[in-house]
Amino acid sequence: MFQPASLKLDSPSPVDERLRNKYIIIYFMIITLSFLPVSFFEYFYIRYLWKEDTYWIFFLFIPLNIFINLYILQLGALSFSFLFLTIGKLIHYPKEGVFIRDINDKDYRYWNLRNMIKKWPLFIMATHPFPWLKNRFTLRFFGVKIGKRTICDNCWISSEFVEIQDNVIIGMGSTILSFGIEQDKFIIKKIIIKSDVLIGAKCVLLPGTRIEKKAKLGALSYTGYNSILKEDSIYIGNPAKLKEKGVKENF
Amino acid sequence: MIKNNKKFEIEYVSSSGVYKTPFTLVVFFEFFISFTIILLINLWYINSLYYSVTGERFIDSWSGGDWWYWLLLPLNIYGNIFLFFIINLMISKIIYSILNVIHPPKEGLFDNGSKDWKFMHRRFWTVYFPIWLARALPLPWSDIFVYRVFGIKVGKNVVLYEGYIDPEFIEIGNDTMTSLHVCIFSHLIYHDRVFIKKVKIGKKCIISAHSIILPGTVIKDEAILGANSYTNINQILESNLIHTGLPAIRSFNPKSIEELKSKVKDNKIGKNQY
Repeated sequence: MFQPASLKLDSPSPVDERLRNKYIIIYFMIITLSFLPVSFFEYFYIRYLWKEDTYWIFFLFIPLNIFINLYILQLGALSFSFLFLTIGKLIHYPKEGVFIRDINDKDYRYWNLRNMIKKWPLFIMATHPFPWLKNRFTLRFFGVKIGKRTICDNCWISSEFVEIQDNVIIGMGSTILSFGIEQDKFIIKKIIIKSDVLIGAKCVLLPGTRIEKKAKLGALSYTGYNSILKEDSIYIGNPAKLKEKGVKENF
Repeated sequence: MIKNNKKFEIEYVSSSGVYKTPFTLVVFFEFFISFTIILLINLWYINSLYYSVTGERFIDSWSGGDWWYWLLLPLNIYGNIFLFFIINLMISKIIYSILNVIHPPKEGLFDNGSKDWKFMHRRFWTVYFPIWLARALPLPWSDIFVYRVFGIKVGKNVVLYEGYIDPEFIEIGNDTMTSLHVCIFSHLIYHDRVFIKKVKIGKKCIISAHSIILPGTVIKDEAILGANSYTNINQILESNLIHTGLPAIRSFNPKSIEELKSKVKDNKIGKNQY
């Protein structure tokens, strides 16, 4: 909620440097296209409200105008990146697995491309000051399933291969990674977090983690690859180990 | 409330967090009002700029079009940013004090959906926008000023702006340094409840990177909390010691610089190097 000055809560989407320069044109195209609806809106706003004798109406609605413009920009960026993503998916459908970390590998290349396409909408989402249409809305657009009443605005969530159900609380500064890089291997695996799960502050979930209902993960701990946290139990440590089965309230 | 007068202990550390409620619209309200006031103040300036571009005024009686208007434009923009911040702070302070009169903030253990829980959310959302603004300003350490306005005792020479710090029930002494990504929670989610208790941090403390401070912690003067460690609830960290661990149970004596220097002399590698 009160994120540090240096932190922009952009979800983890690194792009390989070798591919960044090659496909930078797509990134700029999305940025310019997303400003088009904003300029259209602004044109009509000035055209119809800037009139003699009624300048006060124009000035009265300027704050609202800026507020609306911000969300038009965000939605524009989202829809254009969605368009590019669907084209990308038609060419090469994203799938889980272990790949080679090399730009000639098709899966790795297209994963980087997808991250590049998502960068701009995620950046706007993370930087604008209003608390609406943040992480949950944006990530739902990219196909991440996030349920009702979840607190997930102060953490980094990977933008694909994540499923989060209802009533989940994810602590401040936690990171949910559905991808991992191990030497020359590149791993993508789905993370599933079931309902009523509580994840503490500054946790790290590695790819393939599966958290069952009502499980609790203590602060400052991380889970291993493909680890399963069982129902109604508390996990703490590096990597997370079972501390207690069957949670009871001691008060 | 705590039943059976039992000592309250926790089995795991979660986090502080806030749901979005209909009251969150207060953020938009603050933004709208302060932006309108800024526009009203700047109307003479906009009028003048409009005159220099088009040769007409939309408010005839005002002057406009002098060369020094252009010269002062950068100052105007920079001043507006700070004015926006201060007006915003004033509005949210007014809302905050009204909320405190209706329902004064209390320490304790509260159920999800109770009255205290609701008002905690309301207080958090009123404070949200000024703190966001303070940390986005060209002077990020101005957030100390915001925290002071909302009733947190922050001493002189304190570094705060690189952490997640709750906006109430915190006391920080002079010359304390908090490091990168520190979490200071005076509100902790535990099962379906929220635990609220005051955090006291003394003078000349050091709180290292990525550490978490839980509600009820008392850190005495000149104590040091090590990196990547958290304190337990109601834990007291004694002064002049280094504390580390999960929770911070291990404590060491800090060595003086003379002691460290003598160690370097004894060391063979050290001898060769110096």
